[in-house]
Amino acid sequence: MTATGSQEPGNRARPGPAASAGTDLAGQIALVARGEAAAFDAVFEQIGPSVFGAVKRVIRDPAQSEEVTQEVMLEVWRSASKFDAGRGSATAWVMTLAHRRAVDRVRSVQAEAERERRIASAEIPFDEVMEAVETSLERERVRRCLGALTEVQRESVTLAYYRGYTYGQVASLLGVPTGTVKTRMRDALIRLRDCLGVAE
Amino acid sequence: MKQRRDTHTLAGAYAMDAVSAADRERFERHLAGCQECAREIASLREATALLGAAAAEPVPAGLKDRIMAAAAVTRQQPPAETVPAPASRRTPDRAGSWFRSLAWPGRLTLATAGVAGAAVLALAVVFGVSNGSMQQQIDQAQASSQQIAVVLTAQDARMTTGTVAGGGTATIVMSHSKHALVFTARGLHALPSSRGYELWLIGPSGIRAAGMLPAGSHGMTGPVIASGLRPGDHLALTAEPGGGSPRPDTPMMLDVAL
Repeated sequence: MTATGSQEPGNRARPGPAASAGTDLAGQIALVARGEAAAFDAVFEQIGPSVFGAVKRVIRDPAQSEEVTQEVMLEVWRSASKFDAGRGSATAWVMTLAHRRAVDRVRSVQAEAERERRIASAEIPFDEVMEAVETSLERERVRRCLGALTEVQRESVTLAYYRGYTYGQVASLLGVPTGTVKTRMRDALIRLRDCLGVAE
Repeated sequence: MKQRRDTHTLAGAYAMDAVSAADRERFERHLAGCQECAREIASLREATALLGAAAAEPVPAGLKDRIMAAAAVTRQQPPAETVPAPASRRTPDRAGSWFRSLAWPGRLTLATAGVAGAAVLALAVVFGVSNGSMQQQIDQAQASSQQIAVVLTAQDARMTTGTVAGGGTATIVMSHSKHALVFTARGLHALPSSRGYELWLIGPSGIRAAGMLPAGSHGMTGPVIASGLRPGDHLALTAEPGGGSPRPDTPMMLDVAL
C-alpha cells in the first residue's frame, strides 16, 4: 500500500461508516498482495456474496454470474498489490471491479440481441430490487436512502446499476433527454452518498 | 469550458458504468487531469458499492473452492517499486494508476474465462524465451492457457501441495477426467544454467517424463500443464542436466500422490 501524501484535507474518498465492515477487508487485501491464501479466503468470505449478488443482478444468468464472480475474485487476487487505501475503501475497489465486469459481460456482442429484447420489455425494477428484503441493516439503509430519492432519480439509478443500462438506454426507457438523465444520475448518487454517510 | 462542464456531468453515469466505451474513454481522459473529479468519483463509488452490497446473496456451493484453486496457480502482479521520485512527477502518476487498474479488465478480452487471462500472460512470458515467431508464441500460449483452464474448471479438479526437498512449495491442481494436471511452484532454488527442473509421472505403467519447468520469475514457477495423467500416478520433480533426461538420473526432490 502506498503512502497517501498527495491526498488533500477534506478528501471525499475518505472511508466513512460504509467502510467500517471493510476496514478489515483492506488489511486482508494487503495480505493477499503478499500471496497469503488464508487472507484471500477471508476476503472471499466477506465480499463474495456481495460480488455474486451484484453481478447476478446485472447478468441474471446464474452460470454466467458465477463465471464473472470468479473472474472478479481472481482479479482481486492478481492485482491486490495495486489497491491503494488512500483512494477509497476496499469494498468500493472490489465492487467497482465486479460491477464493471458484469456490465462488460452483458454488453458483449453475444449479449446484444438478448439485451435489446430485455430492454423492450423492461419494467421499472425498483420493487423487484426492494422485494428481496432479507433484513439486514445495510440493506435497510440502502432501501431507506433509495426511497428518499425522487422517483426519476431512483429509476435512473436502479436501471443503471442493477440492470447495467447506459444512460442513453435509461433515457429511452424513461422517455427523457439524455442530458437530463446524466444530471439526475449524478444528483442521485450525490444524495445517496450523503444519505448513506459514506463520505462527507 | 462548456466542453469540460458537459464532460463532468457524466460523473454519475460513469460511477455506475452506465456509459458507452467511447464515453468511458473520454471521461477517463478528463479524470486524468482533474483531481477533484477523481475524488468525486471515488466518493460516488462508495455509494454504488453499497448498492451492490445490498444485493448480496449466498454464493453457490463449489464456487469458492474453484476460485481458491484457480488463485493457487495464478501469478500475482508485483507492486509498483518504491522509488524516490520528485513530488511533481509522482502525483499525476498515482492519480492515474487506480483508474488504469480498474480499466484494464474491461479491455482485455480473452476467449477463455477467468484464470486463462492470467495464465496467458504468464505463459507469454514463459514462451518469450523459446524459438518461433511471435504469432506462434502467442498461439502456443493460448493453447496452453486453454488446457490449463480446462483442468482448473473440471468438475473433479482437486488441489494438492507438496514440499520440495531443497526448498520451495509445489501446488498441483489435477483432473483425472481430463488426464492432466497444472503445476506451479513458489520459492524453488534457482539452478545453474547447466540444469533444469523436470517433472515426472510415476505409476503402475512406469515412469514418464512430464516436461521441463520454465525458469522461475520473482520466486514463482509455472503454471505448466502436464498431460497423460493416469490413475495411481505420483508426481516427482528432479533437477536434470541440460534439456532434460529420458529417465530421472538425479534424486527425487518431490513426490506427491495424485
